[in-house]
Amino acid sequence: MSWIPFKNNNPKKQIISKTVERDFEREYEKLQKLEDQTKKLHKDMKKSTEADTAMSKAAVKISSDLLSNPLCEQDPQFLKSMTALDTAMRRMDAFNQEKVNQIQKTVIEPLKKFSSVFPSLNMAVKRREQTLQDYKRLQSKVEKYEEKEKTGPTMVKLHQAREELRPVREDFEAKNKQLLEEMPKFYHSRIDYFQPSFEALIRAQVAYFTEMHKIFGELTEQIDQPGLTDEQRERDNEARLSELKALSIVADD
Amino acid sequence: MEPIYCTVLPGSPDELGVPPEADKTKHKQSLAIEELLSTERGYLNMIQLCAVDIRNRLKQKQLPDFDLEGLFANIDDVIDVSSKLLYQLELMDTENPQYLQALSDTFLSMRSELENTYKEYCASYSNILILEARYREREELDKAIQETITIQRIARYQLLLQTILKNTEPSHPAYRSLQATVDSTVALNSNINEYKRLKEVADKYNKPENLTLMDKIYRINTHSIAKKTARLSQMLKHEAGFLPKTEDKEFDALEEYFLALERGVADLQDNVSTFVKHFEEFLSRRPHECELDIETEVAFRNYKELSAILHKHIYPKYMHRLKSLVLQPLCSLQELFACPQNMIRKRLHKLLDFEKIEEKRRETGSITYEEQEAANTYQAINTLLLTEMPKFNGMATQLLIRAMETFIFIQRDFAADVNHIASGYLQHLPHNKLPDYTFWSWAEGMFLKEAKSLQQISQTFEAELNPHFILPLTPSSQRRLSELTKRYKSEQIYQASSDIKGGRDMDLSLSRGELVAVIQEMDTKGDKRRWLVEAGGNRGYVPASRINPYHPTGQTASPSPAIVDEASKRHSVVVVSPAIESPVLPSLQVFAAYDFSARSIHEVSLRAGELVTVLEHHDRQGNPQWTLVEVQGQKGYVPSNYLMVVPVPGISASSRKT
Repeated sequence: MSWIPFKNNNPKKQIISKTVERDFEREYEKLQKLEDQTKKLHKDMKKSTEADTAMSKAAVKISSDLLSNPLCEQDPQFLKSMTALDTAMRRMDAFNQEKVNQIQKTVIEPLKKFSSVFPSLNMAVKRREQTLQDYKRLQSKVEKYEEKEKTGPTMVKLHQAREELRPVREDFEAKNKQLLEEMPKFYHSRIDYFQPSFEALIRAQVAYFTEMHKIFGELTEQIDQPGLTDEQRERDNEARLSELKALSIVADD
Repeated sequence: MEPIYCTVLPGSPDELGVPPEADKTKHKQSLAIEELLSTERGYLNMIQLCAVDIRNRLKQKQLPDFDLEGLFANIDDVIDVSSKLLYQLELMDTENPQYLQALSDTFLSMRSELENTYKEYCASYSNILILEARYREREELDKAIQETITIQRIARYQLLLQTILKNTEPSHPAYRSLQATVDSTVALNSNINEYKRLKEVADKYNKPENLTLMDKIYRINTHSIAKKTARLSQMLKHEAGFLPKTEDKEFDALEEYFLALERGVADLQDNVSTFVKHFEEFLSRRPHECELDIETEVAFRNYKELSAILHKHIYPKYMHRLKSLVLQPLCSLQELFACPQNMIRKRLHKLLDFEKIEEKRRETGSITYEEQEAANTYQAINTLLLTEMPKFNGMATQLLIRAMETFIFIQRDFAADVNHIASGYLQHLPHNKLPDYTFWSWAEGMFLKEAKSLQQISQTFEAELNPHFILPLTPSSQRRLSELTKRYKSEQIYQASSDIKGGRDMDLSLSRGELVAVIQEMDTKGDKRRWLVEAGGNRGYVPASRINPYHPTGQTASPSPAIVDEASKRHSVVVVSPAIESPVLPSLQVFAAYDFSARSIHEVSLRAGELVTVLEHHDRQGNPQWTLVEVQGQKGYVPSNYLMVVPVPGISASSRKT
């Protein structure tokens, strides 16, 4: 394939050892995966809390619509029950809001901040790559001159090439070293960084559902009907619906 | 048509030796009683034959799409009732003087059973007729089912009993009971008829008609137009106040309640539906399935396990209960409102008709047959609604309330389930002993602190963006440099790190190493990645990422023709700079790096690549920018940065002298 003009000839001397390159790749891949996963987690948590909020608002609408229905004017008992229910729903909504705020501060925002490091990292890796390419190119150039006959002009060119190469090599080495040091550190930092988030998620849920249990428990005490099993409830509903359907003014299909 | 009397008894009354008048009645009475019993037997036989025999045969035929239930309705109940009646009647001997009393008692005690059973059958009568006609057409039925005899039977009781009564002495002890019995059968029949009529009216008017536009157009004829016009004018008269509206406070109250209830159920069904939908959306998100490679971390592990259990067991159970115990019944209930609503509408229409008819009746004293029918229809619908709406309203309200109560129970149970599991996991967390307020302060504090370290990490990575080396300059670059520095500050001088090919209109093309001056760090659209630069009299845009600040420092070992800027030493990232080699080491040689034309007698010309001998590193005034060299036998001054030191292996110092 010698007819394909290579822009950068690969230098004969190995610039970086395969092991070092592999290590670098491995570390960077781990970070790339971490980047994907933190982005995904961020999105999931956002959508999850959005749905949670919508649910809570829908619950409030259930009770507020009923409370504004004229039936409440007709039946004082109905009014009383619906008022109690509406109060309960609104209180739950307030607790839900609090829960969402806590999650926002201890999970969603921290996730975003963590993710914001990745663009800088990716840019640094790209620059290292660019420098590596420059390094390889200049290295080839030097080697080319080294193999030529030692004439005056060649010597000058060789010297110039070497002088050009040196800072590039140093730059690359510096970049490489820094990334090899910092990448694992950053990767490792995720463990301690996210620990409070997951604690927070469990705690927020326990707090919310404790309230919910209390509030709805109080409501159930106001209901005369003793607790029925699900089958009993289903049968009850079926029976009532059948009674309704037996009326002449309700068509029987 | 069966005869009322079976046969004429042989012999005259005289032969029997009973007094003529009293005996005649007594005789007729006995005959009537006998007839009652024997006809009942015959009737029972007949319907049993029908029900058992014909039905079995039809069942065996196994005809598809055959409504056996509809064809026979509640004939079994009729058979039961008839058997029971017959049994009771046959218990006592008809000659027994107590018989009449027993007869009355039987009928009175069985009155409600008879009414309910025959009521149902008679109401289904028209349906039976329709089915029978259809199946006879399809030749699936070869014989008539004789359902008419059932219809006729219930009416016959009245006649038979009346005959018995007619032939009973008013002084008879059972007379009053018998009278009561007759009255009750009269009432019974009237009830059955009324029920039948109402049912027919309901069936006709309660179904909302799904007419196509074409159907509706076909329905328009002079009659229907007249009808609707009349209604409309009646309505307008009401609205304008010309005619008092027929107020039926009772009905209005029922209607008002009905409408409120309908709204309530519709809203509730809608809202619960939305609620469930959002929960399903919530359930579809699975943040706990992220792979952050921190399985060993305690908090994450607990969170993941907890969430998995909730998603797998608790949430689906909650959803299922909501759907089956709350949403489903509400949907079914909501559907039931359509027909009564339709009937209420029809009632209003019929009411308008009725008002006109009543007006006519008042004015003219007579109305047509159709008008009477229409009036009756209105009455029927009105009665039906007044009777049944309270029941409907009551039962539907009950269902509504039940649905809400169930919802409350479901919420409580759900909270209990989640709490039960989650508290267990909470115990395993490192900070579980902290009270809530303290925990949240701690957590938020942690993240504020972490935000700072993250920022530092970012900066560390970003610091790599400024390469700390510069490319050596060509003479043309040097000229460019001196040109630019005249007009721009040194901070504005940048160098292209690679060849830049300008793509768009105002873009510049640069070659690697070329020097430019940055005029503005963004383009006219505010894009900070495109900078406005000047290069040799040309102005244009270049990508910011491809140019680097030109901070010439003393780092590079090569004496490149760069102006040493002491201040820029601060910007450089620390790299150990190799010691500046003295050009007079024995193993090093000095060459001319570039061509140089001497411009005075003190200077000497150079050709790039020539070997020179350095005599002095400064000129007469001590200026290190000029070096005294000897080349080609000539001596003179040359610019110091035009010289290059090259380590040349293998050349001994002694061979230098040329």
